[in-house]
Amino acid sequence: MLDEKEFGTVEKTSDDPLTIKYTFADDAVWSDGEPIDCDDFMLTWAANSGKFTSSETDAEGNPLSGFSSAGTTGYEDMNAPQCAAGDKEVELSYATPFADWAGMFGAGSILPAHKVAQGAGVEDLIGALTSNNTDEVNKLAQFYNTGFIGTPGTVDTDNWLSSGPYKIDSWQAGQSITLVANDEYWGTPAKASSIVIRFIDATAQAQALANGEIQVARPQPAQDILSQLQAIGDSVKIDQGDEYTFEHLDFNFEGAFKDADLRKAFALCVPRQQIVDNLIKPVNENATVLNSRYKLTFQEGYDQVVSASYQGQYDQPDIAAAKQILDSKGAAGTAVRIGYQSPNQRRTDATALIKASCDQAGFDVQDAGQQDFFGGGLANGNFDVALFAWSGSPLVSGQASTYVTGGGNNNGKYSNPQVDELTKQLLSQTDVSAQDTTIGQIESVLWSDLATIPLFTFPGLQANSTNVTGPSFQPAQSQQTWNDDTWTVAQQ
Amino acid sequence: MVAYVLRRLLISIGVFFVATFMMYLLVANAGDPLEDLYGITDPGDRAARIASRTEIMQLNTPVVERYFDWLGGLLSFLWGQGTLGVNRTGQAIEPLLGLALGSTLRLVVLATVLAIVTGVAVGIVSALRQYTSFDYTITFFSFVFFSLPIFWAAVLLKQFGAIAFNDWLGDPVVPLPVVVVLAVLGGLFAVSLVGGRTWVRRGVSFAVGAVVVLAVLLVLSQTDFLARPTLGPVGVSVLGLAAAVGITALVSGLANRRVLIASLAGAVVGIIIYVSTVSVLLDPTWPFLIGLFVLTLVLAGGVGFGVGGIDRGRAARAAVLSAAVVAALSFVDWLMYAWPAYVSSSLGRPIATIGSNTPNFTGTLWETTLDSLTHLVLPSVTLVLISFAQYTRYTRSSMLETMNQDYVRTARSKGLTERTVIMRHAFRNALIPVTTLVALDFAAIVGGAVITERIFGWRGMGSLFIEGIYTVDPPPVMAFFVVAAAAVLLLNIVADLVYAYLDPRIRLS
Repeated sequence: MLDEKEFGTVEKTSDDPLTIKYTFADDAVWSDGEPIDCDDFMLTWAANSGKFTSSETDAEGNPLSGFSSAGTTGYEDMNAPQCAAGDKEVELSYATPFADWAGMFGAGSILPAHKVAQGAGVEDLIGALTSNNTDEVNKLAQFYNTGFIGTPGTVDTDNWLSSGPYKIDSWQAGQSITLVANDEYWGTPAKASSIVIRFIDATAQAQALANGEIQVARPQPAQDILSQLQAIGDSVKIDQGDEYTFEHLDFNFEGAFKDADLRKAFALCVPRQQIVDNLIKPVNENATVLNSRYKLTFQEGYDQVVSASYQGQYDQPDIAAAKQILDSKGAAGTAVRIGYQSPNQRRTDATALIKASCDQAGFDVQDAGQQDFFGGGLANGNFDVALFAWSGSPLVSGQASTYVTGGGNNNGKYSNPQVDELTKQLLSQTDVSAQDTTIGQIESVLWSDLATIPLFTFPGLQANSTNVTGPSFQPAQSQQTWNDDTWTVAQQ
Repeated sequence: MVAYVLRRLLISIGVFFVATFMMYLLVANAGDPLEDLYGITDPGDRAARIASRTEIMQLNTPVVERYFDWLGGLLSFLWGQGTLGVNRTGQAIEPLLGLALGSTLRLVVLATVLAIVTGVAVGIVSALRQYTSFDYTITFFSFVFFSLPIFWAAVLLKQFGAIAFNDWLGDPVVPLPVVVVLAVLGGLFAVSLVGGRTWVRRGVSFAVGAVVVLAVLLVLSQTDFLARPTLGPVGVSVLGLAAAVGITALVSGLANRRVLIASLAGAVVGIIIYVSTVSVLLDPTWPFLIGLFVLTLVLAGGVGFGVGGIDRGRAARAAVLSAAVVAALSFVDWLMYAWPAYVSSSLGRPIATIGSNTPNFTGTLWETTLDSLTHLVLPSVTLVLISFAQYTRYTRSSMLETMNQDYVRTARSKGLTERTVIMRHAFRNALIPVTTLVALDFAAIVGGAVITERIFGWRGMGSLFIEGIYTVDPPPVMAFFVVAAAAVLLLNIVADLVYAYLDPRIRLS
């Protein structure tokens, strides 16, 4: 659940079947004073489980989920939570073991059930869900899906409740949102009494910071924005780091690269260090080459996974070795079409660097960037090497389908029974350190098979005025406000 | 004329259907609307989001069918049930359009009016002083401004107009070298404007210009004017009476005593109202202010009419104009009075680089007006800089052409004064071609100013359009398109009607 102790505790009580006990803090309440308890938990489960379908069907005739959900992974493996109205403790068991159990019921996934019940006109939400009363469930789903959509500029104070240190106070459409401290919050109160979030184009953020109109900025990283920020001087603290997204090269196993030797030759000529030096270091001076697919450079366990799986053989290009392989196979002049979604200057540049290096080894690298790459190229296998990014996550379940036979993300049609077996093992492991060991084994196979070549994690940039203390860059968080309850402003 | 307008509208309807159809097709094919979702790692999450967006955007329906759906929704407005559809997150377009239009109008109307007034005025003077150094200077600068890349100009303006200016406001003293340079520039400006055939006259012009600038700068520096600006009753009275004299010179010539007296009387009416309302204007409302303004104009018009004698029409007009100038001066004085409080509430950095207002700012009407103005100043200057060139060049050439017409020579040979020749015979005729430009410019206003809006953090029509294109989402783009197209259409018709008013030879049929 939430990693913040204030919200409550999560405890694994059994491995077989996987059973988790969730306990909400006794004084945890929504910002209208209503306790956070069983019904909120039930609703989150029901909405994401995919088990409550509407009468509509999709093109293939399968019933559509009544609730609109951001994805049912994990939730679909759960049995119905066991709790009664008003319970602060919930017991949840899984029908099949699920590796990412710790990431379920995350921040922001729990909506105020009493508001949904009220808006839908359903008296007994828990009863409606446990008995699967179609009529009432449909009403709940209807309100769940549409009841929280606002009109720009209007704060729905009745329904938009908060369970955190801040709540929304006002919204000026297109300009700003103001948060104020949530006086019903039971934990450590927010240090700043209000925070204004302004919507500004990335290119305007540095000057707005210099002019004192904003104190914290997280612009899209670009070299000119970084130098603008640096020019402001001592009154601004700049954080450079990584985003939770990584760039990689995927081989198409249905083309020339089904030959393992050719993959090796290509991996030997790709100038990974140079790509990082030329394209990433200008915006993130701490950037390094990424050597793992499951773990990103800043994640815990990265070093362990890399040392178990990769010996540094592809750190620097070895043109001579690559050339030797190509010559011995009589494959000199093999065309390599690198596909990516264009326009994208950074990928065009990366492709040019690869071409400059690999053409020396005897490949014929072609820039096959196209505007409809994801729709028309990647899915149809119309590429030799695909250059794109996966957004990372601490969850292993999402990553897994990228490398297993027939997996939803496995665009290159890579297949190795050993990886399939290990992945199955990984997905049933519920202990993080055991997971890391398995990931090391999987990565080891992926490196020797050269299923894909990881390149780098995306750079991130954050800056704040030095009269605010607290803001800091955190790769796992997509917003700079992740720790805004600890920000303080110096008195002027 | 009604038949003419109807015919124009009917022709436009055909154009409208073809244009919207093409636009819809182009936007729908501008890229892949699901592109940002393909990188989501979790296949279940990805599939769910793709399915939900596909449903909202009706991506499984052929584009042509989607267009007719949209058109049906639009046409239903005729019987009051219309819809402009939803954007890709499922949000209805109408409120988005309302907000965008409001924000754009606030941003661009002021800038366009300023550009028209200054552009036309400078263009006229430039034409009357053809081939003088003033003319050349204006030509030079208008071309420089016209060629400026707008994003670059905006960034420079923010750096110097906001960041550096705010820094300087902390200790507002004009350094001596800057004073000297500005004084010399002021002198040169005076020479180029007034002209003069002999070196003595040029020398006098230069000296007067330089001394005026010098005096103003020194007074500003010494009296801490920028930190605590004020005109006061004395300033408003002196400037107001001077304006009354100037207005008389333009309207009828100073020789016409009746008009001069009326004009001065109008100014005095304004001054009396300014002085007597001090206690009630500390925190007024807009309706009250507007009512007061109208009352002032009506009183001044009445007084002008009374003292005008045989020339009462012109006298009343001059009086109203003078009173309006005094009212404007009073308004500025009130804003100045609120300035120090506003500066300290903005932590000493009043000029803003982004947004349309300070979030959650509350204060008197004067303070909120100042807040809007400090946010408007930079984007407005940016917009004025580029359209200024068009207006000066257009007005200048139009005025030059008119000044060479036979009827102007005839007017001169009749013995009319130069003022009458210029104001009555040349100026009005020179405005006819400028009307086209003004009409098109006002239509373009509604289209927003994509780059300016983006750089200065305004969410107007430009943002609605550009974000719709980037996300391959037709409904917001079409909403923009319908409003912008309607504006162009209507203002073209308005321009035709204005021609007919300005030029009696034109008959609409």
